[in-house]
Amino acid sequence: MNHDIHLIVNGEAYLLSVPAHHTLLQVLREQLVLTGTKNGCEAGECGACAVLVKWPGADHAEPVNSCMVLAPEADGAEIVTIEGLAHDEQLDPLQEAFITTGATQCGFCTPGILVNARALLDRTPDPSETEIREALVGNLCRCTGYVRIIDAIEMAARAGREVAR
Amino acid sequence: MTRDQESGARSQESASSFQLPASNRKHSLIGTSPQRIEGRAKVTGAATYVDDMQFGPNLLHGMLKHSPIPHGIIVRIDVSKARALPGVRVVVTGEDFPGYTGLYLKDRRIFALDRVRYVGDTIAAVAADTPEIAQQAVDLIEVEFEPLPGVFDPEFGASPEAPLIHPELGNYEAVPFIFPQPGTNVSNWMKVRKGDMDKGWAEADLVYEHKYRVPHIQHVPLETHVCVAQQDVNGKITLWSSSQSPFAQRNLIAKALHISHSKLRVITPYVGGGFGCKAGVSMEGAAVALAMNAKGRPVKLRMTREEEFYTTFVRQGLVAIIKMGMTQEGRITAVHNRFYWDGGASTEYGTNITRAAGYSGTGPYYVPNIHIDSLCVYTNHPVGGAMRGFGMPEIHWGIEQHIDQMAEKLGLDPVQVRLINCLKDGDETLTGMIMHPTGLSQCIQKAAEAIGWTSPPAPLLEGEGSHKRRGKGLAAMWKAPAMPPNPGSSAIVRMNEDGTATVSIGGVDIGQGALTAMAQLAAEGLGVKIEDVRVNTVDTDYSPYEWQTVASRLTWSMGNAVLQAAENAKLQILQTVAEAWNEDINDLDIIDGQVVSYRSEESRSLRDIAVYGMQRPDGTWIGGPVLGRGNFMPEYVTPLDPETGQGPRAVVHFTTGCQAVEVEVDEETGEVQVLKIVSAYDVGRAINPDMVRTQMEGGAVQGMSTALLEGIILQNGVPRNPNFTDYRIATAVDAPLELESIIVEVPQDDGPFGARGVGEHPMVPTAPAIANAVYNAVGIRIDSMPITSEKVWRELAKTRP
Amino acid sequence: MQPFDYLIPKDHAEASALLAAGGGSVRPFMGGTDFLIRARGGFIRPQSVVDLKVLPGMREIRQSPDGWLVIGAACTMNQVAAHPLVLAGYDLLAQACNSVASYQLRNRATIGGNCCNASPAADTAPALFCLDAVAETYGPAGARRIPIADFFVGPGRSALQLGEFLTAIHLPPAPTGACGAFNKLGRTKLGDISAVSVAVYAWEHDTETPRRDWRIALGAVGPTPLRAPEAEAALAADASPQGVQRAAELTAAAARPIDDIRASAAYRRAMVAVLARRGIEAVLAGIARAGLQAVPFGGVPAGSVSPTGVLREGRPEQMIGGAA
Ligand SMILES: Cc1cc2nc3c(=O)[nH]c(=O)nc-3n(C[C@H](O)[C@H](O)[C@H](O)COP(=O)(O)OP(=O)(O)OC[C@H]3O[C@@H](n4cnc5c(N)ncnc54)[C@H](O)[C@@H]3O)c2cc1C
Ligand code: FES
Ligand code: FES
Repeated sequence: MNHDIHLIVNGEAYLLSVPAHHTLLQVLREQLVLTGTKNGCEAGECGACAVLVKWPGADHAEPVNSCMVLAPEADGAEIVTIEGLAHDEQLDPLQEAFITTGATQCGFCTPGILVNARALLDRTPDPSETEIREALVGNLCRCTGYVRIIDAIEMAARAGREVAR
Repeated sequence: MTRDQESGARSQESASSFQLPASNRKHSLIGTSPQRIEGRAKVTGAATYVDDMQFGPNLLHGMLKHSPIPHGIIVRIDVSKARALPGVRVVVTGEDFPGYTGLYLKDRRIFALDRVRYVGDTIAAVAADTPEIAQQAVDLIEVEFEPLPGVFDPEFGASPEAPLIHPELGNYEAVPFIFPQPGTNVSNWMKVRKGDMDKGWAEADLVYEHKYRVPHIQHVPLETHVCVAQQDVNGKITLWSSSQSPFAQRNLIAKALHISHSKLRVITPYVGGGFGCKAGVSMEGAAVALAMNAKGRPVKLRMTREEEFYTTFVRQGLVAIIKMGMTQEGRITAVHNRFYWDGGASTEYGTNITRAAGYSGTGPYYVPNIHIDSLCVYTNHPVGGAMRGFGMPEIHWGIEQHIDQMAEKLGLDPVQVRLINCLKDGDETLTGMIMHPTGLSQCIQKAAEAIGWTSPPAPLLEGEGSHKRRGKGLAAMWKAPAMPPNPGSSAIVRMNEDGTATVSIGGVDIGQGALTAMAQLAAEGLGVKIEDVRVNTVDTDYSPYEWQTVASRLTWSMGNAVLQAAENAKLQILQTVAEAWNEDINDLDIIDGQVVSYRSEESRSLRDIAVYGMQRPDGTWIGGPVLGRGNFMPEYVTPLDPETGQGPRAVVHFTTGCQAVEVEVDEETGEVQVLKIVSAYDVGRAINPDMVRTQMEGGAVQGMSTALLEGIILQNGVPRNPNFTDYRIATAVDAPLELESIIVEVPQDDGPFGARGVGEHPMVPTAPAIANAVYNAVGIRIDSMPITSEKVWRELAKTRP
Repeated sequence: MQPFDYLIPKDHAEASALLAAGGGSVRPFMGGTDFLIRARGGFIRPQSVVDLKVLPGMREIRQSPDGWLVIGAACTMNQVAAHPLVLAGYDLLAQACNSVASYQLRNRATIGGNCCNASPAADTAPALFCLDAVAETYGPAGARRIPIADFFVGPGRSALQLGEFLTAIHLPPAPTGACGAFNKLGRTKLGDISAVSVAVYAWEHDTETPRRDWRIALGAVGPTPLRAPEAEAALAADASPQGVQRAAELTAAAARPIDDIRASAAYRRAMVAVLARRGIEAVLAGIARAGLQAVPFGGVPAGSVSPTGVLREGRPEQMIGGAA
């Protein structure tokens, strides 16, 4: 029960044959070997598998938990994973900020959080601390206690505003 | 403090004869906070964890058959249908691997053989071409049980009425410092006896006893347990494992499966969190067992989140009965504590936790008269293992609330009571060890000050008239690395052609920043920039031995080995240069990768000499590839008397600290909002202060999460919440509004630059500090964790007319 | 997860036929956030799923000519919560949608799936009960409409028949002066499954009298979401502080909670009273603020200023986070 799907992932087009019951997370990790996206629960709870998806016909990408998307559903979608956040060796300001502030420890939650934070800053370039915390509520991190993640997002938001100016 | 003054902890005579002159120590990198060396890999998704490794289409998918019942005799296992399913390549059961294994007590099998002892006990394993087929095969395995009555409470378990869970306990092999009680469910009985209890009670103005409970907690690493095992044509097995203990895994699995250590290789790439559950061995043995029958194909075994919750390791539950005597002035006169540990179905690891609870059982206080029993009790619950704090969060939950209760009853200030009693340099601990220099009093004072102990709480977030009340609370702690007396560390520093150094270690960076701290120590010891140091993740075929990544011991123990290896490499280089330049070695140094002579002011890059050596004035060559070596093992830990727990040196050292919190309690709903947590710890010397703070922050929030939310709900042994939906952990919204971390530095005599560990300690006193703050806010005492909204509401309702 | 196929139906009729022919083994599928958990846990073993999102209208929000708001069943929580028509007239529903799980999950979870899953704790249900929503379905017998209170039949059970599926939620035109508040209580402060939830909604009875009509609906305290009609009537008669307290108690009396691992029945009942009182107070405050603000801006009647807008300005995290 495989389905052929077209996907654009991090700017590269793919034609893939995917089993109907596989998730987008499996496709990314197993078929495309984009293993930066993590599997932390396969139940929509932890956010480690978050990616940005621009559905066919949509005007912008939105974060989703890729463990909650069936592979054939993604036909025609444009996807950005953690591997696609940096451009030409140039890290996203969020990535820089995560390194500078020490917002990553074991690093397993980090890809999902970065992707989700990117989406937050895209829709709310100047988020309040409360908005940041609420946007992260579906991204569990057991190591950091979240404070530096919040700091990092604030720092990247500031950097983004500098650039915009 | 320099190493020249060291207390003789070195195991290698030769090492001390290689001492560098003290003037060579510049401390330029120590106490600075370079960024995490693997940071870029982690923020780009490039960091490779076990599940990210590629093994090709040949990979088999393993799956375990778990017991659905908590206790029973296995009457029959029928795997024939599973074996017959197309795509199934291997099915193994206990009959194939009947031996016992275990870290401190060999009471565990890879697969249950004659009986199952908890819901989740592994009965069989399959490996198949796809995960779907493996699942079908597991479902096809038929097991017939004869159910047995269970033990679901440790106090009952320790009683003579309880059914025996391990009738064979008397035959199990145990390390010498564990004391199983054959014919009972008590797998370790740690006793501490000191002073004269009657005298202690007589001197007290208040004697008070109270019972405290702690549920089973899960570590919740974001990456679940996962490993891949493969056997090659020579019979050699490679295990890629998300592990805190590659060497311990090699040791335990090799012994359990009767294979030579040299025939088992454990490789550990990045690890997505451990917190203790990836110490020792849990499911990895099953993967190796499958691989041994898989005809060379690699077999992956990956725990689902549900399996992670109850089939690997959990933190043991505890029932603590604490009795304390105190004088009107606040001096503790006697302590009688009974700890009933809910050890679960196997206590191979847990026995040592109960021992640690014994030798730390007074909390960080001087007490003259002591009677402590710490009992490790088998129950039909998930298997207890190491978790961040190793027994200390559990016992401090009671002890630190008890101190507050005593203080209140006597009308004393709990901070003052702690300051009066807390251990100071030279005090005798409960086991008779003389306390080394410690900054505990400082930590208590600083934490109290930072939370504004003497000033009233800040105004409510919502303003007056709301149903919220604020309160402050505080708790102190101590914790020693809990380990065998002789856990070793070793390190190799290899010089590369370009003058950079590669450091090989056997300890694992599970997120705590070990790679970076080791890079700092190596760079400092060698005299190169931190960017020029690379630290390898572990491969037991190439990495030097390390006992385990546990006990907050890496910075201290492995740090000593790395520093020694770096200095050893430096010495080799300087000896070469001294001879080539015909100079006194004392005039030479390495600075930022350049060998310099203070006398001749000549300099030479390491690039030119670290591998190729140097030419003597006569044209011949000297030196060659530099390979620095270092190792460390404490040599001074003494055994304790089994009847009294007394001995000159129970442990290597204690890290001490204190946390103070401010909370806001909603009197209507019982919700607790933690506003602020202040953490103050004596880390000896902060090699990387910023990373020390990240440990304090993460630990405080993990501690808060366990305090308010967590606990595995076990009903007749059945875990009812093995998922994130019903085992909630703190989110970014729950995290305190403010975290403050205070570093206190009273050097450790045998730590690298005076450092001692602080990885676990930040979650030890958080829960009792919060409980004390809740009491301070609304006058109710929650003595069983977690402090759920409902419990607070229920207790508050009792106080209303 | 065991294999199943993924089917894209041509039209409503084909979807219905596929579902009917499959018995229970062909399942409707939208956001998958409930479905995938159950399939992965082995609680259901479907042969195939039918993706209903692709059917026309399923992902649309529009106003019908008679002034009703029609929300396609496959609209995501975020889509509903951010839609201008929803924000303008049905902020209560936006609050409920925003309270579900996390932002990224709300990009998958649909309002229709929330209803079809028929959990008593479904967070959109109390709001839909207050708003007198009507479910539109399509089945072998064609389309039909079911009042939302009749749609929920029992825990995990809806009024849908074999081969029938939810196509849209219809909301009657928003009455004047409408104002609502949704509060939920979970274990973590945000995004948890509700242990208790309470939606409170009020609007002007007519323009002459100052009387208001009220609706109060509860989640997670009964086999289905519930209304509290006695409390509603009592409030309409008396919204003084004593009246509010009395209504809160009547609301608690309407609850039929059970003990489970998330909370005890006693705690749930007590929290219904607390959340109900807070919800009523928030609504009263919202109405008052709307009234106050209306004057300086030039005599606009209170009802025409969106009171819901005023509420949102307040403390969104408190409104959403439940009884924070
Ligand atoms: C991590 C997590 C957190 C959650 N938190 C919350 C929360 O806080 N509050 C809350 O209310 N819910 C919560 N949920 C539950 C869930 O997200 C909602 O119930 C969601 O709205 C379901 O919508 P869906 O589109 O994903 O449904 P699906 O999973 O696609 O479907 C749900 C069920 O309805 C059936 N179905 C789907 N569409 C139709 C249709 N058109 N007609 C008939 N039957 C249909 C499916 O077969 C399935 O049985 C949570 C879920 C997860 C995974
Ligand atoms: S893996 Fe998808 S949310 Fe956890
Ligand atoms: S850094 Fe380890 S889970 Fe977040």
